[in-house]
This record gives sequence, C-alpha cells and structure tokens, in this order.
Amino acid sequence: MQPLSPGHEPITARYINVTSGGVDYRIFYEEAGEGVPLICLHTAGTDSRQFRHVLNDPDVTAKCRVIAFDMPYHGRSNPPENWWLTRYQLTTDVYLNLIHDFWLALGVERPIVMGCSMGGAVTLGVAARYQEEITGIIGLESAAVAGGRDNDFLHHPAIHGGELAASYTYGLNAPSSPEAGCRENWWYYSQGGPGVYKGDVYFYCEDWDAREEIKTIDTNRCKVSLLTGEYDYSATPEMSQAAADAIAGSRLTIMKDIGHFPMIENYERFRPYLLAELDQMV
Amino acid sequence: MPNRPSLAWMEKYRDAVNSDPEMSVIGDWFTENFKISFEGTDFLISVREGKIVNIEENPRFDRPSAFSLRAPMSVWNKFISPNPPPLYHDFFAMLMRVDEFVLDGNTLATMQNARALHRMMNILKQMEPLDAAA
Repeated sequence: MQPLSPGHEPITARYINVTSGGVDYRIFYEEAGEGVPLICLHTAGTDSRQFRHVLNDPDVTAKCRVIAFDMPYHGRSNPPENWWLTRYQLTTDVYLNLIHDFWLALGVERPIVMGCSMGGAVTLGVAARYQEEITGIIGLESAAVAGGRDNDFLHHPAIHGGELAASYTYGLNAPSSPEAGCRENWWYYSQGGPGVYKGDVYFYCEDWDAREEIKTIDTNRCKVSLLTGEYDYSATPEMSQAAADAIAGSRLTIMKDIGHFPMIENYERFRPYLLAELDQMV
Repeated sequence: MPNRPSLAWMEKYRDAVNSDPEMSVIGDWFTENFKISFEGTDFLISVREGKIVNIEENPRFDRPSAFSLRAPMSVWNKFISPNPPPLYHDFFAMLMRVDEFVLDGNTLATMQNARALHRMMNILKQMEPLDAAA
C-alpha cells in the first residue's frame, strides 16, 4: 500500500440524478483523468471507494476518464423514494438498466465497463446487451452464473450484519495480499446498510444467469478481458474459464496471489494486469 | 497415521489467541464452548469474553458445545500452512467449497461470533504446521 502524500488527490466527486426503469435515483460518483471513459462497478454491499487506487493511478488516468459510482442503497447513493416499503433485492434487469442509464446521463460514449464480483458478473451482461455502444469490458472475478453465497444470517436481527458481511468476505482475499488493503475492504463491507449485501447476493447467486446470453457477444465489436484471482473461491478461476470459453475472442488471465478484490486487496500486484488490458483496449 | 494436534500444541494455540491484540479488541462478546475435531481427535474450547479459558481433549458427552468444526487431517494440514492452497486458505472458503470441512450445531451462534471466530481461525492457520510438529 502506497503511503498517503499530503494534499488533494486528483479525484473529484459529484451527484447526478438518473431515472432508470421509471425510478428516480440520486447517484454519487467520483472520477479522475481524461480519455476513454472507464466506468467502475463495485462489489456487493460496498461502494466506489474500492477503486481509489485506480482513480489515483496516473498511468490509468493519462488515458482514461475513470468514473466509479455507488449503486443505489450503497455508499452515498440514496435508496429511491419509498425504499422502506420494498425489500431490497437487486435484479439483473434493474442493474443493467441502471448502469446503462448512468452512462447515458453522464453523456459518455463508448465506455469501457469494468466491474468486480457482482460488478464483474454484470459486465458480461453489459457486453451482451450493449455491445454496440461500448469499447469493451474488463470483468474482474467474473462468472456467468454463481451460487453458494446466500444464507439467512446475512440479514438477521440477532447478528451484526456489517461485521458478518465484512468477516464473511475477508477470506476472499489472497493470503499473501497486504493486510492493510484487506482490512480497508473489510471496513467498506462493514458499512453496508441492513440487508443490502444480502440483496446484492440475491442478484449474484439467484437472479444472475448469463450462460446463454454471453454467447451472443461479438468481440469484434466489444472487447472482453477477464481477470480472475487464483484465490477467489466465490468466482473461481474455473468459473471465469467457463465464461471465457463461451465468448469467442475473449481474453482470460488468472492472476497469481490475488483473491476476489484485486483493485483494493493488492493494487500493486493487480496493476500490471489492468494496464495490459487497458493497453490492448484503448 | 495422521499427525493430530497434541494438547500441548493446542495450549500453544490458546496462548496465541489469548495474547493476540486484536482479540483483546473484538472478543468481548465471544463467550461460547465449541469443538474442533481433527479427524476424530476432539478439543472442547471454552471461550470467555474472547479468551480461551479451558481446552479439553476428547471431552465426555456431558460437555456441551454450541458448535463444532470437523475435518480430516488432510484438510487441516492444508489450512494450517504458511502457503495454503486456494479454497483451503480461509475458514469461510472451506465452509463454502470444501465438502469435508463441516460446521455442526448452533450455526446462529457461530455467525453471531463470526468476527472473533474468524480471527481465532486465522490464528490457528498461523500455528506451526502439524506435519512439522511431528
């Protein structure tokens, strides 16, 4: 982990109001750099802070306008009106529409969409549905179908949901990743709203199945890069391999000594993998 | 014959837990008895406010425990290792992906104490490998 240097970081942050699926959302996003838009999607139950190293990397921001936003219910993006009358369960359609409507509201064109975990999964859907509108996707820890993460304890009156979500996901880091990065991610996970991690896991483990849809991705129109950590036991290398096998012309790299959270658990180790994919995409 | 932990090895584990600065911060609410089973050799671990106050080898049936963690030595040896292989590198990883690693009993109590228990399991992972201790 690089030490903090005094003064402002190059990141700026704003709110934008986005209507998606007939619902109004107030969305927080942060950005840095100029060039090809690189939209970053955080993991379940967390927020855009996971991408702070990407946003602060001059080799990335020299060629990309990096934009990381908080999904509704996460970080500083509010839930929509009447949220207290709805059980939060993210669905594939809501997720895909929101990502698309977000970049339309920002007015960006032909972005690269990069996401991790549930964000990595949904990049495959972005590539399938919006392949004529984007430059490509970088799927971190991507799987076309995933399961096994859901349980009722994730939102339970007798359990501290933040501590459980944070501890439940902590082991998804590689054992050799720097403790500071892993602990930072723990902190982000501990701050999720009640039931939000479980509501995201509903998308990831129940609603999401793109095994057929990803076969329609044309990598001549939309480049597909998949990066998966060898220690990821949620989206395992085998699961990412299955997705890559279904997408002709896709690239898959298994990252040694990395787990499920490459951009935050060990950015220095992840960085060369990311730059290599950006080089061939930009 | 698999090299199961001795009581002396478990007492070193007790000392590691009880001297861990993080457990002193997060352990206040962790008060349970639970069992770790190393291929049939059981240890009943009594935790009070985040400190191990007693370890009993192969306890009688009248010593209740809230939950137990069971696995063969082939699994524990991968877990208790300086370089654990993927899927064996974490308590929750094994719970999700390693069929031979079994959590029994009051799983609510387990998850209520997930933070401190997870820390205790990470301390276990850092103990001297059982193969080396033979």
